[in-house]
Amino acid sequence: MSKVVEISPTTRHEGHTKLVLKVNDEGIIERGDWLSLTPVRGIEKLAIGKSMHQVPKISSRVCGICPVAHTLAGIEAMEASICCEIPEDAYLLRVILQCANRLHSHALHNILTLPDMYLPGTDTHINPFTPEEPVRTVARRIQKLREIGQTVGEIAGGEPIHPSNPRVGGMYKNITPRAKAKLYDLAKEGAVLAREQMEFMITVLKDWENREAASVANGPEVAKTEKFGYHDQGYMAVDPLYGNSSLDVDQRWFPERWTEVRPWDWYMGEMEITMDDPNYPIGGTTPAGAMAWPQMEACTGVPLYDGVPVEVGPRARLSIFRNYDHKGAMGLQIARQMEYPDCLYSMIEAIDALDTSGSVLADEIPQGDGSLGWCANEAPRGTDVHLAKVKDGKVAWYSLLVPTTWNFPTCSRALEGAPWQLAEVIVRAYDPCVSCATHMLVVDESKKVVAQKLVQ
Amino acid sequence: MVLGNYKQCVSARATDRSILARAQDGGIVTQLFAFALDEGIIDGAIVAGQGEQPWQPEPIVATTKQELFAAQGTRYNICPNMALLKEATRSYGLDKVGVVGTPCQMQAVRKAQLYPVGMRYVGDKIALAVGIFCMENFPYQGFEAMTEDFCNVKLESAAKMDIGKGKYSVYTERGAVSQMPLKHTLKFVQPGCHVCLDYVANLADVSTGSVGSPDGWSTVFVRTKNGDDIWAKAMAAGCFETKPIEEVKPGLELVTKLATDKITKNQKHVDERATFGVRADGSGKALRSYL
Amino acid sequence: MVQPVAEVVEKPAEKPGDVKIEQKVEVTKEEKPVAEKITAGHVHLSGCTGCLVSLADNYEGLFKLLDDYVDWVYDLTLADVRHVPEMDVAFVEGSVCLNQDLAVEELRETRKNSKIVVALGGCACYGNVTRFGRGGQWNQPSHEAFLPIGDVIDVDLYIPGCAPTPQQILHVAVMAYLLLKGSDEQKELATSYLKPLMDLAKRGTEACGCDLMFDVINQSLCMGCGLCAASCPVRAIDMVFGKPQIDTSLCIKCGACYAQCPRSFLNMDVINEFEGITELVAAAMGTGGE
Ligand SMILES: Cc1cc2nc3c(=O)[nH]c(=O)nc-3n(C[C@H](O)[C@H](O)[C@H](O)COP(=O)(O)OP(=O)(O)OC[C@H]3O[C@@H](n4cnc5c(N)ncnc54)[C@H](O)[C@@H]3O)c2cc1C
Ligand code: SF4
Ligand code: SF4
Ligand code: SF4
Ligand code: SF4
Repeated sequence: MSKVVEISPTTRHEGHTKLVLKVNDEGIIERGDWLSLTPVRGIEKLAIGKSMHQVPKISSRVCGICPVAHTLAGIEAMEASICCEIPEDAYLLRVILQCANRLHSHALHNILTLPDMYLPGTDTHINPFTPEEPVRTVARRIQKLREIGQTVGEIAGGEPIHPSNPRVGGMYKNITPRAKAKLYDLAKEGAVLAREQMEFMITVLKDWENREAASVANGPEVAKTEKFGYHDQGYMAVDPLYGNSSLDVDQRWFPERWTEVRPWDWYMGEMEITMDDPNYPIGGTTPAGAMAWPQMEACTGVPLYDGVPVEVGPRARLSIFRNYDHKGAMGLQIARQMEYPDCLYSMIEAIDALDTSGSVLADEIPQGDGSLGWCANEAPRGTDVHLAKVKDGKVAWYSLLVPTTWNFPTCSRALEGAPWQLAEVIVRAYDPCVSCATHMLVVDESKKVVAQKLVQ
Repeated sequence: MVLGNYKQCVSARATDRSILARAQDGGIVTQLFAFALDEGIIDGAIVAGQGEQPWQPEPIVATTKQELFAAQGTRYNICPNMALLKEATRSYGLDKVGVVGTPCQMQAVRKAQLYPVGMRYVGDKIALAVGIFCMENFPYQGFEAMTEDFCNVKLESAAKMDIGKGKYSVYTERGAVSQMPLKHTLKFVQPGCHVCLDYVANLADVSTGSVGSPDGWSTVFVRTKNGDDIWAKAMAAGCFETKPIEEVKPGLELVTKLATDKITKNQKHVDERATFGVRADGSGKALRSYL
Repeated sequence: MVQPVAEVVEKPAEKPGDVKIEQKVEVTKEEKPVAEKITAGHVHLSGCTGCLVSLADNYEGLFKLLDDYVDWVYDLTLADVRHVPEMDVAFVEGSVCLNQDLAVEELRETRKNSKIVVALGGCACYGNVTRFGRGGQWNQPSHEAFLPIGDVIDVDLYIPGCAPTPQQILHVAVMAYLLLKGSDEQKELATSYLKPLMDLAKRGTEACGCDLMFDVINQSLCMGCGLCAASCPVRAIDMVFGKPQIDTSLCIKCGACYAQCPRSFLNMDVINEFEGITELVAAAMGTGGE
């Protein structure tokens, strides 16, 4: 007889989520639902009627960890709708910003991941905040990488958290030659550190993967299963680094292949929690006897691509563009580390190409006739698709398919077959950044019907 | 606190004749920035460049001496230099920012450092804040009226403006001088100046103005450790000619008098505001004090 | 040394001897080393985590803060504690969704368990972009009421802005430490420093670029310095003929401009000490030059 256990809230990721897990007598997950509990701020709805200039500033506030992705996806969706081509140098500044944000975000995610991992050769979990060596050196390097990323964000983007420089039509300001030289120095410094950090992280992650048993925080050791964090869903990515939009000649994302179902059709129905563990770190699981109702509680819908949930993010990018093939939770974690060096190399390339005397604002910014435009930006956590219709300078319709929303159902599937005590390790591998996953919309009734059929 | 904290006060002028030639007074501001730029103490400075209208200042980030020289002289209307304080550290890429401004602008600099509500990683990059004395400032249109209507000089043909000895003076290209009594300028003063309780830029690293020193010379207060350090280096490099302030006429006495007058007058105004416009039930807040 | 919080909590709360904060401070002559850390945490409501990232953007300073001054006892994003514990200072990020019991409960719990509640960032102080929320979106179409936390609980102190800056957060953290653990003189300094931010909390839960009009220009207080324009995170403010022109169709209601304006508050007793305070913070952070 399978039992139901609930971990709520989950920790060490951004936002509020919980895990509702059906487990067998051995404690192995038979079916897992991972769902967002973060209130839905309703960005898509509040956008309607607002100016196309303001809406991307608002959507930036969807997430403070990858605000650059949301700013750029929002702006470029508007630009795609109004058919506005931006100058090359504006594009280069955006690329620099994109690299900077990915660098900081991956580094921040290392801090959230490390406490599950062990110092190689020991059975000691890594506390990134301990002043003791060798951890402090690593922690310093992480912060240094973040500092480099965020400082580049300040210069190219005005601010790193919610960049102020990008705007519909290009950028407010190009940078000076002095600023360009500074960016170059920062990127050079970062390149060395990023490689070191990548190597360290991969060692640590492989060490974890090769262990027979592991624990979450100070919980008990639990034997790992063979296919830890595996799933059979597909991958989706539009670019190794930046993005793609409906203005591009070579289009790599197709709105007609996207459908969406509501949580009702995807998550589990109401059930009683029948198992608890007050010793689960830290604070225990939800007491038995309580009720859980994922269908009703989930704050996000489930987007599908070709009728199935797909994984987005570092592994999806590396699989599609670099033939990477390493499954499981650690496969995803390692892919993320492998993206480190490219953040800097691509940044250096873009800095080199930038002409500081070039114009960064389109000569003409059309006001839009209500056509659909979309932009798919490769955010740190995966493809962030914004779709917009702009008419007379105002947003008539807006939709966001954010990375974590794509990953929620995929990650839920990846929980199957793992010991429930280690479920949070899988969740954290997906680097959930849940505040973004709080605004999903079912666009059109006919699509919804199709989606439901495909799922059944 | 009339003259603020200071480590030393001197009468000074720049030794560089070309700076002096274009300066409002002793060329202190420009000479100090030029030196700091040469020495790498600052990467650039926010100064008053040329705006769209004649004699309308507009903040710019000067990173060369040419740009500093072009921004010399006083424009008696508002130049919102603080508007560039963050951008200087962003798209301009400055790590060490110099900034010049009126006493109220120095207050803005220090508030941005102590309470950096919206000024991420800016405060630590302010390397030299030079304050200029200020009795009052004018909106552009008031300044235009004073110059063109009262003094009868088209802004386009004015070469220099100056306030001193109770008069607003406009000098033309051809050397003519036209003046109006300061009391008539009162109507044009920007209202925000009436609550201002600082005459000599108490919060600057170094502050300077003409008052207290002979024509062509400036009165200089060196106020902070940072200011003292830079001033000492500039002196060692021979940037300035100085005289002890005690030996010049009219000296600190006049500075103290004007500062006291300003503060007394404005303090009275501040006090009046606390009650001005209050509704019978005490709920109104019109023109209340910000202090 | 098992995981962050447990480790931090169990650590003997002593301050390493190498911190020379007391000797460096000009504004205080206290010699007694300060022994304990304060406890603090981060409560995440309807925000974007940008406020927390900003705290982390103190880079190395973050470690210094956690090593010497603050036990970070709660933070779903960074640590494994699942329920709001007791703490000295709670930094609350995000507005509170009235239509979700969990959020309201957590906020009430936070008030009950904390000595000082800080509204961290524009969303917590003023609602910020969530002020525009109108509900109607899947999968929780009834989530429409997002309120600044001050509308639900008493808030002690505001840190406006979007994102609030790393430095402002650091200053408040250091001052809160001095307030709770410092000498009498340090307490006095901290009180004066924090007062305007406490007054902001009393001033109300609405903010907008319009405040510059209502409470500065309409009051004849603006002198055209331009600091508001520099502080606006969405470039909604242009200086036109020496006065701010606010594009209200861009403004996100973060409250940075008004709080940053030198004419909203200018507590000269503190501002006059800018050199000493800057040195104090630098010394506390181990970044003081000499
Ligand atoms: C509005 C105003 C009122 C003043 N009132 C007095 C006074 O009552 N008594 C007194 O002794 N001195 C006063 N001054 C200062 C004085 O006019 C000189 O600016 C000062 O002595 C510096 O001269 P200098 O030769 O050292 O500098 P210079 O080498 O001439 O450089 C002057 C610097 O000031 C900058 N500047 C010019 N206009 C402005 C402006 N509107 N706002 C900000 N920066 C500006 C320039 O860009 C330049 O960098 C006032 C200045 C202003 C702007
Ligand atoms: S009088 Fe005061 S407020 Fe007015 S410009 Fe001068 S320093 Fe600023
Ligand atoms: S104030 Fe800004 S950074 Fe903070 S939670 Fe709100 S949107 Fe995010
Ligand atoms: S104008 Fe700018 S700084 Fe002021 S409240 Fe609006 S967004 Fe914030
Ligand atoms: S910051 Fe305040 S005083 Fe300065 S320009 Fe803006 S509103 Fe005016």
